[in-house]
Amino acid sequence: MRIGIVCPYSFEVPGGVQNHVRDLAETLIEMGHEVSVLAPADEDAELPPYVVAAGRAVPVPYNGSVARLQFGPIAAMRTRRWLQAGDFDVVHVHEPVSPGLSMYAAMYSDAPVVATFHTATPRSRAMAAAQGILQPVLEKITGRIAVSELARKVQVEHLGGSAWEIPNGVSVAKFAEAEPLPGWPGAGGAIGFLGRFTEPRKGFPLLREAFVALAARRRDLRLLVAGPGDPDDVLEQVPAGVRERVVFLGLVSEEDKRRMLRSVDLYVAPNTGGESFGMILTEAMAAGTPVVASDLEAFRAVLDGGRAGALFRTGDSTDLCEVLAGLLDDAAARAELVARAARAVSRFDWPVLAKRVLEVYATAIEVHAVDTGPDWRSSS
Amino acid sequence: MPAMWWLAGAAVLVVLLGLYVFWMSGRVDRCHARASAAQAALDAHLVRRAAAALALAGTSGDEQLRWAARVALDAAHDEREAAENDLTRVLREHHKKVAGSDPDHADDADVVAASRRAALARQVHNDLVRDALSLRRRRLVRLLRLARRHARPAYFDIDDPVLDRA
Repeated sequence: MRIGIVCPYSFEVPGGVQNHVRDLAETLIEMGHEVSVLAPADEDAELPPYVVAAGRAVPVPYNGSVARLQFGPIAAMRTRRWLQAGDFDVVHVHEPVSPGLSMYAAMYSDAPVVATFHTATPRSRAMAAAQGILQPVLEKITGRIAVSELARKVQVEHLGGSAWEIPNGVSVAKFAEAEPLPGWPGAGGAIGFLGRFTEPRKGFPLLREAFVALAARRRDLRLLVAGPGDPDDVLEQVPAGVRERVVFLGLVSEEDKRRMLRSVDLYVAPNTGGESFGMILTEAMAAGTPVVASDLEAFRAVLDGGRAGALFRTGDSTDLCEVLAGLLDDAAARAELVARAARAVSRFDWPVLAKRVLEVYATAIEVHAVDTGPDWRSSS
Repeated sequence: MPAMWWLAGAAVLVVLLGLYVFWMSGRVDRCHARASAAQAALDAHLVRRAAAALALAGTSGDEQLRWAARVALDAAHDEREAAENDLTRVLREHHKKVAGSDPDHADDADVVAASRRAALARQVHNDLVRDALSLRRRRLVRLLRLARRHARPAYFDIDDPVLDRA
């Protein structure tokens, strides 16, 4: 099958949607399909061979964080050219209601369009107002996928229509086989965090408080942090003696992320909200690292209600500290979490999920009647 | 001279309105064509599911399942929804039995897959019907009777036939 996938966010900045698109594309290629991914990127950017660069992205505040999107007439023209050159059997757009490439691709595609909704935004007035304008775009979409129950609800309540739930996937084998970083986790124990630690809703300050409290009693406990940002911005509140036990890796490659997850005794996701799925949780689970996460609806769903990972009260660093202390002292409890996580994560393995996605493609192709009337293009 | 400007303005307005109607008529046609294609696809998947259920009844000797599958395959148009719901119910019972004993070696894997495809086709069909109906409700579409060449699409009102989400 010739499959065109559109990612509205720049590949140069790692993110949940970008990772999803990359893993899906690579899994489909391994299964023998022809895949082309259109994404914003500079022409000279280093990209996987299946990615077509659509041009430079602009940072835009969107859904509470900064997204790098690309829009405007040039982006629209390049999307049309890519569609023509690709002659796809199916076009799969991600986040079609974000301004940019996905929306253009849905508008201009002659092939059946499948869309995946990632965001679980609470009801916003802007979105309600936009519904009328978006309707012609949404009408072009034949198959609708949501990555979580929350994202599905957003789709149902705000945009009309329903959505088929296929969760975010993880390439389990790649994570399970990764080599820990040299010298980690070490005898004194290690805790891990990955993400934009300067962004409040990722919850790093909670972990920092909990770690400072734990570090006072545990002389060799270390904290391994990966993600973009300036460590100095978040280290001020850490006492001088503890500061050198917080190790920052900076922005890590996919391979180093897998190694990082294998390098710690506990992985912590202290997010305070806004997460629609919690991709990183499934990755830590695949890596065989026990997970401690905020008690958010999305996290609870991934962690099988708290059986495949420990939950703490969202926003409560004291509770986080207690949960961490309990698990650091109890290797048997950690091993049990890992065993249950391995079972829970197998339903998120990409080869399994890609087959579900292909079923949606097949259905979209079945119901794709040849356009009988003038299309978007003839009137613009 | 102002009369000419008025005329020119009116002409531009008429052209723009014409383009809008043309575009809207295209949307109406496309939505209806897709809704009817989706109906055919849903029908095909329900037949496939019933055929898989019949095969399963053959190997497992489940008479109730054989009966429900036959009724679904032979149902007249106005009995179709009830017959499909009955089949879903019987399949659920069967699935619960085999999934309870040994989830990894269930004999109904074909039926589970066919049910999932039917559920997906049902969802896509109902979405496309919703799109078509909401277009039919628009004032311009009603005023100019842009949908007059198309039969009014109808929802296919059956229970979610999915047996196993995972």
